Amino acid sequence: MSNNYFNTLTLRDQLEQLGKCRFMHLNEFTEGVDALKGKKIVVVGCGAQGLNQGLNLRDSGLDVSYTLRQAAIDEKRQSWKNATENGFVVGTYQELIPTADVVLNLTPDKQHTPVVNAIMPLMKQGACLSYSHGFNIVEEGMKIREDLTVIMVAPKCPGTEVRAEYVRGFGVPTLIAVHEANDPQGHGLALAKAYAVGTGGHKAGVLMSSFVAEVKSDLMGEQTILCGMLQTGSILCFDKMVEKGVDAGYASKLVQYGWEVVTEALKYGGVTNMLDRLSNPDKIKAFDLAEELKLIMRPLYNKHQDDIIDGTFSSGMMADWANDDANLLGWRADTAETAFEKTPAGDVEISEQEFFDHGILMVAMVKAGVELAFETMTAAGIIAESAYYESLHETPLIANTIARKKLYEMNATISDTAEYGCYLYNHACLPLLADFMKNIDTDVIGKGTTNDDNGVDNARLIEVNSALREHPVETIGGILRGHMSDMKAIV
Amino acid sequence: MNIELINCGFDFDQRFELKNINWTISDTQHWVITGANGSGKSALVAILAGFGDKLTGELLGLPDKVALVSFEAQALLIERERKKDDADIMDVVAVGTTVAEILAEDGSAAEEIADLLAKFELQYLLERSFRALSTGETRKVLLIKAMASQPELLILDEPFDGLDANTLAMLQNYLTQLSKQTNILMVLNRCDEIPAFITHLGYMQQGTLAHTAALTDQQASRELLQLLHIKTSDLQIPVTDISTIKQGLDPGQPLVKLTDIAVKYDQVKIVEDFNWQINPGEHWQLSGPNGSGKTAILSLITGDHPQSYSNDIFVFGFKRGSGESIWQIKQYIGYVSTALQWEYRVGTSLRNVIVSGFYDSIGLYTKASDNQKTIADQWLVLLGMDDRADVSFNKLSFGDQRLLLIARAMVKHPPLLILDEPCLGLDDINRQLVLALIEKICAGGQSTVLYVNHHREDAIAGIERYKEMTKNASNNAEL
Repeated sequence: MSNNYFNTLTLRDQLEQLGKCRFMHLNEFTEGVDALKGKKIVVVGCGAQGLNQGLNLRDSGLDVSYTLRQAAIDEKRQSWKNATENGFVVGTYQELIPTADVVLNLTPDKQHTPVVNAIMPLMKQGACLSYSHGFNIVEEGMKIREDLTVIMVAPKCPGTEVRAEYVRGFGVPTLIAVHEANDPQGHGLALAKAYAVGTGGHKAGVLMSSFVAEVKSDLMGEQTILCGMLQTGSILCFDKMVEKGVDAGYASKLVQYGWEVVTEALKYGGVTNMLDRLSNPDKIKAFDLAEELKLIMRPLYNKHQDDIIDGTFSSGMMADWANDDANLLGWRADTAETAFEKTPAGDVEISEQEFFDHGILMVAMVKAGVELAFETMTAAGIIAESAYYESLHETPLIANTIARKKLYEMNATISDTAEYGCYLYNHACLPLLADFMKNIDTDVIGKGTTNDDNGVDNARLIEVNSALREHPVETIGGILRGHMSDMKAIV
Repeated sequence: MNIELINCGFDFDQRFELKNINWTISDTQHWVITGANGSGKSALVAILAGFGDKLTGELLGLPDKVALVSFEAQALLIERERKKDDADIMDVVAVGTTVAEILAEDGSAAEEIADLLAKFELQYLLERSFRALSTGETRKVLLIKAMASQPELLILDEPFDGLDANTLAMLQNYLTQLSKQTNILMVLNRCDEIPAFITHLGYMQQGTLAHTAALTDQQASRELLQLLHIKTSDLQIPVTDISTIKQGLDPGQPLVKLTDIAVKYDQVKIVEDFNWQINPGEHWQLSGPNGSGKTAILSLITGDHPQSYSNDIFVFGFKRGSGESIWQIKQYIGYVSTALQWEYRVGTSLRNVIVSGFYDSIGLYTKASDNQKTIADQWLVLLGMDDRADVSFNKLSFGDQRLLLIARAMVKHPPLLILDEPCLGLDDINRQLVLALIEKICAGGQSTVLYVNHHREDAIAGIERYKEMTKNASNNAEL
């Protein structure tokens, strides 16, 4: 089996790598795409990330072509259609890889080992291999030929967003890294920066991180708050409402679109702003629920982080890969059968504010999940910047996918790795919250509170407000959102 | 009782004609009629005072006592006085009719006349010869004459022209009082002079009453005033920001050269063997039915079509696929389409939307310079939206959004301006607004215009070259 790269590092190196993350200034990108100009870029894989990144790079004046497996070409699969209909040159590994100065491996994680094993011998001396996720290097311990430069450029959005934002004249936040064990010519960073410019990422903000920090924080965020918490929360909130007699269509709509609405407030002004959208008594209620949830779920978040750090998670998932994805496919089928998934959103009007007022529990779940994920990551040595992006920042992006087509859409959009982690979390979290849910009623999910007046105790409100505002995720969030808004004057 | 005009046509000495006038004025309404010069607004109100020859239709409910003050009526009276004078063969200096006599003509109450003279501070004129008055004085005397006669319908054609601020305020006050018992119609060229008692607006265009709006309908009346503003204000296209112009173009080179273009989706050919060259200064209209590939051709030019790279395309000095970025191409193009409007779902200010035209972005992601903001504000003045500079774009009406996107496209004075069905989805008044703005741009700008339309008939003045596309045909006609 594989040889976990992270576990081969000394504790000192582990901590150094985990702690690597720096928000880069726009003036660090003045050379634009120069480092890639005239170089031949060959993309492996033409799914959503592959196609859309390639379109952006080509529109930035770079030479992009696609290589697919012989079978995909012969059978004219979707990936072949994607590439040819967009006017790209498409060829086999044998045809194109030897000509490439830079190879972008944009295949799913699961295929990395066979793909890299197939292309590495064909790559020319001194070429560059780029990843958009470090799993293969960090968790599977893939060893790359010493003459090759290995970099990572990871746009923190689905492929379609990567394209849509570029076309608008903007980009999506992007994480870049150089694999220090593979930077023989010392130009890895220059290539990664040019690549980020080519996809438009520099306009939205680039984080310079490490392969290790990217993998360990990305895995943690996606399986806990981003996907796991939203999936578990969707099921629990919907079932509770139906149990308490709320109209199923209303319940379905409140949950499906509620995550998007409440996390929109999160995007603009962090957890504080999300809770500030509630009335004072409701805010205190949401705060108390979140405290309770954090107490119950903290051991689960710790377990996920521990399993990710020591490699237990990835070896478990790779075992499932080896077992024809038995767990993944089974869980996916179970999700499709949940009542929430099968109940279409009702044709009812729900105002923006009503999503907050009737979704106090959802607000509490987001708050608890974001804070727990952030706290757990930083406790494990991941720097606050990384932890912020992998928790709070990405939550609205995932919430948007649920608004489109519920859990099916979310799980179809995210990577297989994220999907696997999400089900793992969901299976542990549902029973964990069973007792908690027994005490939940429609005042916090479905119907809203019926306070006769909005009076609250001053001291209690001050206590809650300062606890919200002083949380470390709010401190770093304020700084990073400030950076972002410098560049993106308007959202 | 209502005054009603039903399908009226009027002739004015075969110099001017009013057509298809349909208009109802109830006795609680007070109207302002606006429109561009020569649109017929003076003629429209004059027919209520008995001018013009009715050719068609019905004019009902006209009251007995109608008073009109207008330059034309003023000229008629002066002409009458001049004739009287000519008729005088005695060898004495004729005094002619005095102001007092003119004012007494209609049998108006003496106190009323005295009161108005005092208000206008014109008592000293009473014994003067009417003919000896200055134009301004004549005007005021006629206003007094009309108002003192206590008409049932008072028609004032540009009554505020040339009045000083104090007199203007006094007159407005007086009319406000008078409006309680008299129907008032006014012709005004300037929309900032509309008195508060006015209830309705009418907009004249090419001899017909094209649009009416109750002032209580804020949206409709705002659109109408905006149209008036664009049509009638002497506005210049704002200059552009020199620092955003990246590099000049070789005037000897075509802007666009498409050679043997083929576009296909899923093996189905949409466009085949298509050739087109657009030279600087040659305005084109591109027409054709849905599915004939108009949008595909446009997006090949703008660089938005992925098959740009697999075709022989030369744009603004770049051979496509030679290492240029799409942003280098877009800097030469201003672009407006319904699709862009759908894409432009941004909660940013109107000012920022215009500035975003300098960067070809949807939304603004760069700090704008002061000069760029100043230019954006000048465009907002031109559009009549300067009072809404900080309003959010997505709060605008569909028509206003379109106007703003046209300004965005033009803000950098692009060598090529592409207007892809600019009136699509707009109602008549907004269509008029957009066309008025485009005419202004065509007249004042240096951009080569590529105008795309379903129907060849919807032409814009000054565009004489036509490219017609047909469905699935290889030989697209050039006319």
